[in-house]
Amino acid sequence: MLFFKIMAFLQGYLVLHVIGNAPERFVNMAAGRGIYLWDVEQLNQEIVIIKVFLRDIKALRHIARRTSCRFRIRQRVGLPFYWAVLRRRKALTLGAFLCLATLFFLTSFVWVIEITGNEKLDSSHILQAAEQAGLRRGTLKWHIKPGAVEEKIIDQLPLLSWSGVYIRGTKVTIEVAERIVPEDGDQQPAHIVAKKTGVIKEVLVLSGHQTVEEGDTVSVGQVLISGEIFPVVDPQQLEEEDSEPEEEIKPLRYVHAMGIARARIWYEGYSEVYLVETGKRPTGRQKNRISIKFNNKEIILSGNQNQSEPFEMYESKILINKVPEWRNIVLPVEFITVKYFELAEYRETRSRPAARRMAEERAQAMAEENMSDDARIEERWMEEVETADSDKLVRVRVVIEAVEDIGMEMTFQP
Amino acid sequence: MALRDFGEKVKKQFADFLELPGDVILDLPKITLFGDLKLYIENHRGIIEYSTSGVRIGVREGEVIVAGEGLLLRNVLPDEICVEGKITALSFSY
Repeated sequence: MLFFKIMAFLQGYLVLHVIGNAPERFVNMAAGRGIYLWDVEQLNQEIVIIKVFLRDIKALRHIARRTSCRFRIRQRVGLPFYWAVLRRRKALTLGAFLCLATLFFLTSFVWVIEITGNEKLDSSHILQAAEQAGLRRGTLKWHIKPGAVEEKIIDQLPLLSWSGVYIRGTKVTIEVAERIVPEDGDQQPAHIVAKKTGVIKEVLVLSGHQTVEEGDTVSVGQVLISGEIFPVVDPQQLEEEDSEPEEEIKPLRYVHAMGIARARIWYEGYSEVYLVETGKRPTGRQKNRISIKFNNKEIILSGNQNQSEPFEMYESKILINKVPEWRNIVLPVEFITVKYFELAEYRETRSRPAARRMAEERAQAMAEENMSDDARIEERWMEEVETADSDKLVRVRVVIEAVEDIGMEMTFQP
Repeated sequence: MALRDFGEKVKKQFADFLELPGDVILDLPKITLFGDLKLYIENHRGIIEYSTSGVRIGVREGEVIVAGEGLLLRNVLPDEICVEGKITALSFSY
């Protein structure tokens, strides 16, 4: 039925009022001549409504004369009639056509070039390479060969290992992947210095001169492995020259120190948990109020209309959306969204062991916060701090002894 | 008339014998009724009378009378008519 309706719309049909003594004869004769009629309905004693295809209307005139009936066209439905309207209104047709043509014309250019994936390399270099392959703002889309542009970018920029050019609408996305190349900084003279205070456990020197021993306590910034290589001095010679004025010994050469310096580090965490805890916390219920501020007038669009408080206890968050400034025009319109979060009082009582466990967990988390990822926990102490108000709360102190690499590269100027 | 009756009789027996559908050999109307909403009548001989309360459709040697309320002819084709509306009665008259 739907298919028939679509076909009828495309071909165009008419709604007729047939007036006469014997509309049945009219219908019979029409049907007999192969004219398809549908939705035949009696309106009143004289008038019968019928629907007929546009192409059959000429034949119907003849039939009407033969059966002494008259018909009147009540309604014209379908595409052919729209066509007729358009043919009469040439300016409208032209405008619609021009609109489509302009749209097509404007969308056939590249308007935006987006570059993603580059971290070290500047986008302008990639753009330059793309321009050499014919991709720049304002070029026709079909003149761009993504494959050729990709190849050109890779050829021009040895820093990139892969590139992909995708055309989506008027936007071209250039995706690149950078090669990982060793940095120049690796060759600069550098020390390994301590980034944390601790007691050295072991030092493994790959390059450089070890300046601390096992068991030494080091502070932040202290040189652990030096990048200055001094000439080997004979101890005997040193004794002999003791009396002489000390000459400053110049380092022989400078290296980029490398190595691992593991040290014991102590981390401390402290936490206290009340046995009876009271406070406020959000219940999860939320109400919004959206309003428009125009100059100084505020119009509430939705939410609580009167300025009364939405909940007994709440905290609110205000978001202001402004129309972005354009040239010198600033629109005095603001969209204000206020979010109200309902709060409820709560009171929690805990048993002493539960409070202690909780305090311990928190203290542990606090201690671990500063630990680096590669740290290995050697030992762990937990103690409860006894105070005067110990019946109300539990205080816990956690100390963790960990071993971790505290070395950090620091370049220096010789 | 007797000769024609005889002819009809032979045709009917022939159709029965070969188990052929009656509407083909005997030129009978084929009526399909969908509840009381819709009626298809194939192999008709034209509309004799039409109003919203009743439709008379000619068939071979007689007519089919459809009575009802708010009847309309959904389709009118040379060999098929579809009547829609609230159908209350269907009768034949010769």
